[in-house]
Amino acid sequence: MKKIYLIVAREFMERARKKSFIVTTLLMPLFMIGMMVAPSLMMLYGGSEQKQVVVIDKSGIVAERMVSSEEVVFSAQNNLTKEEACQIYNTESGVFGILYINEDVKQSGNVQFITNSSSSLMLEELIQSQLKNIIEREKLKERYNIDNLDQMLADVATPIVLNTFENNGTGNEDEMESTSAGINYILGIVLGMLLYMVIIIYGQMVLTSVVEEKSSRVIDVMVTSCSPFQLMMGKILGIATVALTQIAIWAVLVIAASKFLIPALFSADVAATSDMMLQGVIGTLGDTGYITMLFAYLAMFILGGFLLYASLYAAAGSAVDSVQDGQQFNTIIMMPIILAMIVMMSVFNDPNSPIAFWASMIPFTSPIVMIARIPFGIPTWEIIVSLAVLYFSFVLTTWLSAKIYRIGIFMHGKRPSWSELGRWIKMK
Amino acid sequence: MDSILSVQHVTKSYTGHVALDDVSLEVPRGSVYGLLGPNGAGKTTLIRVINRITLADKGLVMLDGKEITVDDIFHIGYMPEERGLYKKMRVGEQAIFFARLKGLDKRDAEKRLRHWFERLGISDWWGRKVEDLSKGMAQKVQFISTVLHEPKLLIFDEPFSGFDPINANLLKEEILGLRDRGATIIFSTHNMASVEEICDHITLINKSRNILSGSVEEIRRAAGGNTFEITHRASHEAFAEAVGKLANVIGESRGVVGGYTATKINIPRNEDIREVVARLNDRCELRAMQEMMPSMNDIFIRAVNGTLK
Repeated sequence: MKKIYLIVAREFMERARKKSFIVTTLLMPLFMIGMMVAPSLMMLYGGSEQKQVVVIDKSGIVAERMVSSEEVVFSAQNNLTKEEACQIYNTESGVFGILYINEDVKQSGNVQFITNSSSSLMLEELIQSQLKNIIEREKLKERYNIDNLDQMLADVATPIVLNTFENNGTGNEDEMESTSAGINYILGIVLGMLLYMVIIIYGQMVLTSVVEEKSSRVIDVMVTSCSPFQLMMGKILGIATVALTQIAIWAVLVIAASKFLIPALFSADVAATSDMMLQGVIGTLGDTGYITMLFAYLAMFILGGFLLYASLYAAAGSAVDSVQDGQQFNTIIMMPIILAMIVMMSVFNDPNSPIAFWASMIPFTSPIVMIARIPFGIPTWEIIVSLAVLYFSFVLTTWLSAKIYRIGIFMHGKRPSWSELGRWIKMK
Repeated sequence: MDSILSVQHVTKSYTGHVALDDVSLEVPRGSVYGLLGPNGAGKTTLIRVINRITLADKGLVMLDGKEITVDDIFHIGYMPEERGLYKKMRVGEQAIFFARLKGLDKRDAEKRLRHWFERLGISDWWGRKVEDLSKGMAQKVQFISTVLHEPKLLIFDEPFSGFDPINANLLKEEILGLRDRGATIIFSTHNMASVEEICDHITLINKSRNILSGSVEEIRRAAGGNTFEITHRASHEAFAEAVGKLANVIGESRGVVGGYTATKINIPRNEDIREVVARLNDRCELRAMQEMMPSMNDIFIRAVNGTLK
């Protein structure tokens, strides 16, 4: 244990002191804060200027009812023909486009939108829904002779709020935990992506570290001073410590910045939106005790997932002679993660399906799939079994990578026979 | 003989060639043991087999009469030929890391290291990065790391390569000092001068085989084979006539200070040296007679060429 600790400390110090580590640790939060602020800034300042759309309404029912908004202004020019309009409102006119409505629009439903520059999906949807609304109402009025239709519709308009609870047998809504698929969905995807990124960034580091050590003769000294398992475990845990430190610093900096820096620099609006993004997730989840437990589980799964994949990278590093050769394993190692992401999507449809269950038990997919399932509320024994399997697999893979590492050194310049392999595996 | 390490019939082959072919040797406790041999003879492979960095195909390595284990290896001191240090680490930290890995506690390690650094005159390297050191400098650091935990068995692979004569001398002194404090030292080399000066025992490996093993003095005497240099007053011809058939004159005579002549002879083993001496004393005014011990360098070359009797 002491030797593992020494190796962990060495790996950590070597990495944490590098200039590149300090630079990325400080720059990353800037980038993340930028990502948080950018959407709100875009909403406030960046929103594209108001588009002007000329409406030529030959049916006489549409033009006056088109509603202008911040994005688009409709102006009626019903007397022009399509050709005239196209000549007048050309590219230089500053008009975005011409909406041409036939006389028989009520029957055919066909409308032409002629634009001077490429149209946008948002604008098209806006026009479509307005027209649909107008024409359907017009038809209702006409065919069923309803005069005060608008008033009636306004009268019955009802926004629906769907409150989802987990059944705990009591039926008392104060006691039941609320389970919102929407928030779970976002949380699952965010954490899954986080794990994926952590594995890519730091997993690579494990592979490089193992390969580099093999290519220098430090290996001779290390092999005669500690067991390969201690070496592998030390490397993996050392880099995990680096990762945890870096992520912790990032988290502290980002939270501090979103609390103090952003309100100071930007107007209240921006601050509120970016703060909302952070608070929104936590707020919707429920009471603090539940959140603490939830995040404790999530942390354990993310850590376990990282350790397992790091040990796979260690095994890959042990099996190859250069970092380039090691890259080939990248795709193979990443495969289960991508599979897990796909399964995660199906979890949102049915968190208790057999595939969701088994994928959250198999260690290669369990971190991501379980992260997505936990917020739905699943039995504690499932979580415990899954965690146990995950951490056991990590130790097993590390042991295996130590064996591969040792055999790689023994093999140096020789293809081993099966009996030799057997002897090496048995060797301590 | 009390041997600390015993290598028994070790064979190790790589793809396409045999690196060690039935090699056996005994390392006496408390000795300085030289593993000699030309480049590629198998010295490093033998060291790696002893260290269990690699495994022998056949044969045994025994330490103190028991088959050597990984735990034993963790306690010996081993300095590989290509220096094994982490490039990005600072010298002092690295030395402390290795010392703690070998079981020393931090304070003890630092105390001993400061002492050794001072002793080898490298105290001001403590805070430097390993990648900034020259080969010889790195080697000193590695040497200290190897001996710091005072192991009873030390193995150095080519410890003198990369050192200038002054530092090589310093290292020799340190190796002898370690022996005097009770350690057993095995080292590989092709530097013959160092062998004569510090080795008690050697094994000469050539083409993967142990071709010569034993104490340095015995080997030199055996290889010397009754060769003497005799200083006398007579001419070369007169001397040769005097010797007659009792011994063979080797080469030409040479003049030495004081008007004397020095001539080398080889006395066959069945002749009595005293008779030769008596005869020469009568006829040539004998002044001095000295046994000629071949240098290890001669023995090395003759053994490798196969001309050593």
